[in-house]
Amino acid sequence: MKTLSLAGLLLVLFLAGIFVYVVEDVPAFGNAKSPANRYIAIFTIEPEGAVESLDAGVVPLEIKTRTEAMGFNRENNFPTLEEGNYVIERNEEDEGWDILIHEGEIFFTEPLKYYHVKEAEGKLTIYRYNWPVRVLEKTEEEAGTLNAVTAGLADYRGYDTMFEETVIFSGAVCVVLLLRKRGRL
Amino acid sequence: MSHGKEAEMEAPGPGSRASPAKKEYRRDVIIETTAKAMVPLVLLFGMYIIVGTEGTGGGFPGGCILAAGFILYITAFGTEMGRVRIPESWNTFFKSFGLYLYCGAGFLAIIFSLGAAQFLNYSAVWPLANLVGVAVTRGYLLAFMVSVGIGTTVMGAFISQFFDLAWKDEDEEQEQGEKVE
Repeated sequence: MKTLSLAGLLLVLFLAGIFVYVVEDVPAFGNAKSPANRYIAIFTIEPEGAVESLDAGVVPLEIKTRTEAMGFNRENNFPTLEEGNYVIERNEEDEGWDILIHEGEIFFTEPLKYYHVKEAEGKLTIYRYNWPVRVLEKTEEEAGTLNAVTAGLADYRGYDTMFEETVIFSGAVCVVLLLRKRGRL
Repeated sequence: MSHGKEAEMEAPGPGSRASPAKKEYRRDVIIETTAKAMVPLVLLFGMYIIVGTEGTGGGFPGGCILAAGFILYITAFGTEMGRVRIPESWNTFFKSFGLYLYCGAGFLAIIFSLGAAQFLNYSAVWPLANLVGVAVTRGYLLAFMVSVGIGTTVMGAFISQFFDLAWKDEDEEQEQGEKVE
């Protein structure tokens, strides 16, 4: 019994140490515009000829093939980097290039930001644009509501909310069927 | 005959408890006055919450607050009076009407875009969009159709459940009273 409690104390101290270490190790979220908070790095390539190609407005073939090999392809319903389907813009703020893709939607014809390319330490790093950041930035334009939560509740996840309402409705109907006497309506 | 004798033997036990429960609803001036003052404010606050989708409002909490206002009225004035003011047919209507309103917002997108848009694709509400722009139209749709639909359903569901439970208790008391007699 005594050894058990000693082992438990040691385990608790070990877990507490791990927690303290993890909390100390988490990077600070001070700068919301840093690339780590807006983009997710996916891979790096050699910059030979790619910088000139990006400046000229053409995506290098290696980026296209590698993104499609990672799963961002037609089979998984992601828009691909087809010729004439994308726009490359120089992003002075983050010192890189933004790759915008036409998604093929009927009612939103403007291209959307999908990838970000940045040159650092003699290599080109390809980032994927962070989805929550995209939602936060585009909510007012797309959904017409200032509140991102409302847009998520009723617009992006409209089906979810509709069937939540159906759950409440069916619950009330079940209570009526179980408890009510006939002719009480 | 033996069953009747057993009932007579058991009669004094529940009878002493059932006789005070059978009495009429007792009015209380303080509770009624407080409820009269509070109910309109609570209902107004509920409507404000339902329409306030730009802030922290929404259909679910707004419907709960509206239902709380009506339930306060029913508890203060009794179920008989509550059934007069809030008829049960209205609850049944509200319950299903909110769901129809939500689904109707989805079907409006299909109808107005002549089948080009999907169900619940609010971006395609063209006649309204020609007046005020697509994004603003979607915002109004969100605030006024979806939230009002959710709030109406939640309100009707909660009030009808409260009525059901209250009536069940009354029926059981009545049955006990009849058994005793």
